[in-house]
This record gives sequence, C-alpha cells and structure tokens, in this order.
Amino acid sequence: MPSICFYFQVHQPFRIKNYSFFDIGKDHFYEDDEKNRVVLNKVSEKCYLKTNQKMLSLIRKHKGKFRISYSLSGTVIEQLEIYRPDVLQSFVDLAETGCVEFLAETYYHSLSYIYSKEEFTRQVKMHAEKIQKYFKQKPKVFRNTELIFNNELASFIEKMGYKGILCEGVDRLLNSRSPNHVYQPKGTSKIKALLKNYRLSDDIAFRFSDVNWTEFPLTADKYASWVHKIAGNGEVLNLFMDYETFGEHQWESTGIFDFLEHLPAEIMKHKDFNFLTPSEVIEKYPVRDTYDVKDFTSWADAERDLSAWLSNSMEQEAIQRIYSLEEKVLATGDADMIATWGKFQTSDHFYYMCTKFWSDGDVHKYFSPYDSPYDAYIYYMNAFSDFEASLNDFKPKKTPVKKNSKKLVAAIEPVAPVKRKK
Amino acid sequence: MSKNEPKILMLGWEFPPVINGGLGVACHDLCIALSKHAKVTMVIPKTYPEFTIENLNLIGLNTIDARTLRNISYRNDYKNLEEVHYVPSRLNPYYSDQHAVDHLPEIKSKYLTPVEMGDETAEVFTIDDLYGGDVIEKVTVFGKLTAKLALTLDFDIIHAHDWMTMAAGMEIKARTGKPLVMHIHSLEVDRGGEASKGWVYQMEKKGMEYADVLMPVSNFTANVIHQHYGIGKHKIFPVHNGIRPVNAFKGKKRFKEKVVLFVGRLTRQKGPEFFLEIASRVLEVRQDVRFVMAGTGDAFHRLLEKSSYKHIGNRFHLTGFLNLEKVHEMLSIADVYCMPSVSEPFGLSAVEAAQFGVPVVLSKQSGAAEVMKGSLTFDFWDINRASEYIIRLLDDDVLRDKVVADANKDLESISWDLSADKVMDGYRKYKLYME
Repeated sequence: MPSICFYFQVHQPFRIKNYSFFDIGKDHFYEDDEKNRVVLNKVSEKCYLKTNQKMLSLIRKHKGKFRISYSLSGTVIEQLEIYRPDVLQSFVDLAETGCVEFLAETYYHSLSYIYSKEEFTRQVKMHAEKIQKYFKQKPKVFRNTELIFNNELASFIEKMGYKGILCEGVDRLLNSRSPNHVYQPKGTSKIKALLKNYRLSDDIAFRFSDVNWTEFPLTADKYASWVHKIAGNGEVLNLFMDYETFGEHQWESTGIFDFLEHLPAEIMKHKDFNFLTPSEVIEKYPVRDTYDVKDFTSWADAERDLSAWLSNSMEQEAIQRIYSLEEKVLATGDADMIATWGKFQTSDHFYYMCTKFWSDGDVHKYFSPYDSPYDAYIYYMNAFSDFEASLNDFKPKKTPVKKNSKKLVAAIEPVAPVKRKK
Repeated sequence: MSKNEPKILMLGWEFPPVINGGLGVACHDLCIALSKHAKVTMVIPKTYPEFTIENLNLIGLNTIDARTLRNISYRNDYKNLEEVHYVPSRLNPYYSDQHAVDHLPEIKSKYLTPVEMGDETAEVFTIDDLYGGDVIEKVTVFGKLTAKLALTLDFDIIHAHDWMTMAAGMEIKARTGKPLVMHIHSLEVDRGGEASKGWVYQMEKKGMEYADVLMPVSNFTANVIHQHYGIGKHKIFPVHNGIRPVNAFKGKKRFKEKVVLFVGRLTRQKGPEFFLEIASRVLEVRQDVRFVMAGTGDAFHRLLEKSSYKHIGNRFHLTGFLNLEKVHEMLSIADVYCMPSVSEPFGLSAVEAAQFGVPVVLSKQSGAAEVMKGSLTFDFWDINRASEYIIRLLDDDVLRDKVVADANKDLESISWDLSADKVMDGYRKYKLYME
C-alpha cells in the first residue's frame, strides 16, 4: 500500500536593509523592517492563509485520511508572531487536527552544520522548543536547510535522537534505484532517510504553470495517474516542496488551488494509496537499502549541492566572517546580540550573493531583495562591520546571563503570545 | 590698461550644471578665471537657460538652428551672424515626419532633431548624454556645426579641450587661420593604456599635431604627449590645474578604525587594484584600518570578489558613486588619502584631500605629485612603499603633521587664478594675439 508523504517548507528570512558604509557605527538595526513586513503580508495573503484553509478543509473532508507535514523556520515563526498572528494561529489549527506533523530544522534556516556543530545543535534545540510551544509536538524527523544532507549529518542527527531525516533523491547516488523506498543513510544504525522524488515534486512546484511543458495543463487526475504508476515498485512517494508553491510561485490564476482541492481524492481513488506523515512512514515501512552520500547534497539549483550559497568568494567571506564571531557572541550572554548573530546566519543572505548567472540565476534573482549579488554582499558586510564593532565594544548589562546553554535558549526565546480564536 | 584683451573661442564638452567628471569643473573654473583677462566665448553641446555665467558668453549648440548655419559660406564673413537663428532652448525637440525635402540641411545626423518654433521648424543638435551612443558621430557633428558657427563669431584664439572638441578646433583653424590651443586634461593612453591606438588616439594625435600650442595639465602629461604621440616639446606648455576653495571640516567618525580613502572611477587608469593590494598588505600588519573606495566603474565587481577572496571583506568597503556632499563627508573622516593612479594627468581628488587636511600618499605617475611637493609619493606598482607610508602616517603623528603642513603650503600655490595667469603667459609666449 504505497503512501504519499507531503512535506512543505515554510520560511521567510529577516532581510537586511540597504545598509551603507555611512551607517556603520550609527545604525545598529540591520533588518529591512518594511520589506520583511510587506513580503510576509503578501505571502500570507496569497499563500499561507489560503493554503492553510484549503489544507484544513481537505483534512476535514477526508476525515483524517489526508495527512501532511510542515517545517517552519524559527525566523518565519518570529515574523508571524510580529506581523501575522492570524496566520500563525491557522498553523496551530492545522496542528490540532492531529493529521499534521511539524519537522525539526535549524532555527535560523542556517548552514550552521557546515561551520559549527555546537551552533547547529543550539539552533536545532531552540527550534524544537519553538515548535513544541506552538504546535504541542516534539519533532521526531529532521530536515536540514534546503535538504542539505550527507552521511555524517545523518549520524549526527541520529545521535541527537531523531528517527528520520529528509533529503534529496539524487539520481547519481541512487544509481538507478527508486527514491520511493525508505533508505538507511550509510554509517547510521537506526535513523531512516526519506528521499524526495524530485520529478513528481517539481511537476507541481516548478512545471505546473509552464505552458511550454508538454504535459501542460496539469490536472489532478493526470497527476494521480502518474502517482498510481508507482504501485508495485515503491512504498512511499515523497513530495517535498516550498509551501509558497501554492499561490505565490504558482499564482491562484494558474489553477493550483483547484488542483490541490482534487488531488487527495484523485490519488485515493486507487484503494491502495494513502497519505502519511514522515514519522508514520518511518514507523510503517522497513529500510530497503543503504543511501550513501559522502559529499553534501541539497535540493537547491540544478547542481543539487552547496553551490547555491557557497560557490563564490563573497559568500565564503561573508559566512566565514559571521561564524568567526561565535565564541565572542556567545560569551556576551546577551540575548539581543545572540539573536542578531543568529539572523545573520540565515542561508538566504548567501543565496542572494550567488553569481551563478548561467544556472538558476533567474531563480536567485526572483528571491533577492537586492539589485545584484554584489549589492547583497556590500550591505551584508557593512552591517556585519557594525555588528562586529558593537561586539568588540560590548559591555555586559547589569545582570549578565551565565554561559549556560539552557538558560541561553530561554533568554533568546521572544515571548509573544498568539491570540487564540474564541 | 592699454593692453589688448584677447578674444578666446573656447570649445568644451562637459560643462556644469551636468558633471561627468573633473573635466567639466576644470573647464568651468578655468573659463571664469580666464575671463578676468580675456573675452571668452564658450561653445558646448548643451546649455540650460537657468545656468548662466557672468562675463562669459556661453553658447549651447542646442540653442542654434542648424538649418540657418547651412547658408554660411566658407568665407570669414561676419555679416552671416544675422542669419543664424537662436532657438529658445526650453523647446523640447521631437521627431517629426515633416522633413521638407527641399529644406534638407547640409549636415545630416541622427543627433539633429527638429523643434517647432511658431510656424517654422528649426533643427538643433541634441544629445542626451555626452559619451553614450555613437560618440564619434556626436563629436563630428559638433565639430561641423561649431566650425560654421565660429565663422559668425569674433575671436583671436581657438582654445579646445580634449579630443571631443579637437575636430571642431581643427576645422575652425582650417577655415579661419586662427591659432589653435589644445588644453589636454586626459589622453587615450592614460585611460586605456599604451596599447590604445584606436580612433580616439588617432584624433588626439592628428589634433595635437595640427595645434599651435598644447597646454597639458601637468609635466607628466607633457611627457606622455611627447613619448606616446611623438609631438615636439617646443609647443608643449604645461598649465597645472587649480582648485576650487572649499569649506573643509572635520567629521565625527562613528567607529574606532582608521580610514584610508580612495575617491575616483574604479577603472584601470586609477589603479583601484593597487589600492586593494595595499589594503591587503596593511591589514596583514594591523587590523584597525578600514579601506574605503568611493566611486564606481568597470572594476567594481572584480574588486568585491578579490577583496572577499583575500578575506578582508570586513575592512574593505566600496561605497558606490558618492555625490560631492558625501565625498566631503568621507574626506572629513579620512586619516589617509591614497591615490595609486597608473597614469593620472592631474588628480584633483588628491588636492581636495589635502584641502581637508588629509595626508596624501600618491603615485608618482600623476600631475598632482608635481604640485603637492610635500606629499609622500610612490610608483604605482610599489605596493610595499605605499603600505609603509600609510602605516607610518597612521602611527607617527610627527610625520603626519609634517605632511599636512607641507600640503597646506603647497595649496597656497594652487589656484585657478594662477592657472589662468599661466594660460595668458602661454598665449603671450607663443604670440597668439596682438598685445
């Protein structure tokens, strides 16, 4: 009985404003408040609210048979707390159905695993607490930023107590095997890997409204017929994508919501098919083979590696600079300093600096709030310079928090109550 | 005052209020200073009705009906003056189908556009920007129109500025026999390197050969003219640039690090990559310095990539283009000004830095080094020496004070009035007019 496993990524970064050299030493606030608010509102209206509503009605309609999962970054939750508590509440409503699983990730949607295992651990814990707080779940399955993955990461996450991990199903590593099974990352003993079926995922996420695509227009019954083809040679179909696919990357006018409305029923027309969340897939299906990933893979760009963030010297310089401050920042014990440093780590900043114009340049440009990757680097480094100077001048406030990681996390957690619906 | 004031026909390209670079400012300030000794008529591509200058007859080609120029014969005939129609320059040119075939002007160009004047249609020289598009066509048409216009004007000396006005200057000299002075602010060999031997180089070479007197802005440029264009030294008469007085002030820096500043176009000629190498060298020794490059240009992206590759991204800042006010703000907080130009006819920015009391470290391959006698100079490729100077200036207050004091002394002998005197000396030395 093959299962469909939906996972949607929900993330928004704290974009950095056009921070000029003349701001260094004068302005210690780096975020583009206005832009962050406008983008969040736009995406909330076009995607989050509408799609959440759709998901909720589908879950109710199918009486618990339609099941999905999300990963919300800590930064998007913070933004929802500030600007759109109504949207945050709609995610809470989904959590309360019992049909929705929330996954673990790094709080700041960062590349911290590559640069600092300590920081990575801190962020994963911090994120888990945030998820627990709102959705009353303890995440059991981990997904790293943009599905960045390798064997070593799987082992590390296994030791942190996670049962499953999500990753990209990369053809050359699958070596003609199917991604539609549960795999065991090489070098691990218990943790299971769920591999993204990128063809069927991208049919929705990228190709849905592409008029040049031979399969255009894509209907729910056509898509369901492709899904049904895995019967007999696959147990799980992992459809992983950005949540913004619905309504934002694929506008409402493309018919994406109608497609979504009919998809669960079309898929379940075949009696053998059902929907499961990642944890349920891991419970239900045994490991069929080992998945061996020595070098990092990800779901980003055509290369499916780290080149979306770390392929030029500007990205390297910016990211090395920010991680070089780790010890000093944590030593301050100052919640604001540590939170600011965390936001500097968000992978989007480096994504904006990418100069792979020949590959996926348009995609990078679409997401970037800046005119060019060079501007992105300049503003980041100017803001960084100010932050570095503030850090060097830092004098502890009256009651410094002790260097104790548990207390640190507590200190960082912004407390913003969500308005509950009556 | 029994002396006869010479009548100068100046030919300019860049001119205020539109500023592309140093050339416009230099032409403007020199004209004003010179108009104390001479009657100056300045012809430029475009004037603005709200921008006038006392004692200076400023003519924009955008205010002349090109059709009326076609009747002007090659003879030097002043009565033609009445036939030239001046067009109110507020009129906006537009393209019209009503190109009456029988009224085709002698000079045809895409840079001539019709404007409506009551019942009639005039045709004026129209260029949106000075260097974009077909710049060769622009300077050629400018030359033809100016040459015809010149036949209606009364003057003793033609005084052209740089290659953009050389075609005009040559044609006027050919038609009137008046002596031609060429003021050289910048050469293709400076901008593009020694291998630049294209159309602009050829124009410059031809123009300078044909001119009677060349007035380069420095001895350095005099040498370039001699070495790279093969012009005899006998007709080269260097006139150093002046500088506009400025209300210098000291700004408040909001961070602890020292500031080493570069202001200029980020292009090969200005040596921006040497500045980067110098920054990298200094930062090996001490971390408490920020290197700031104000300006933009083709090297912008390369500099960002290289500085990040060298891991000095947190101490190396590119501000992009800055307006005058912001440049002054930068100068007011700078601790050292560094000008590593590869080939710099003058380098006003170094003098401006000195006006702000900033010690200057500048390349020997610059005209400014000739007038800033007390400054610390290095060959542009000598990164070690420049780095040492910068570190010494940051460390050693005695040296710093000495360099600043010397520069203040140097500034006393740098002014546009002195430059204008020198130009007059040149006119007299070469007997270009009847005293």
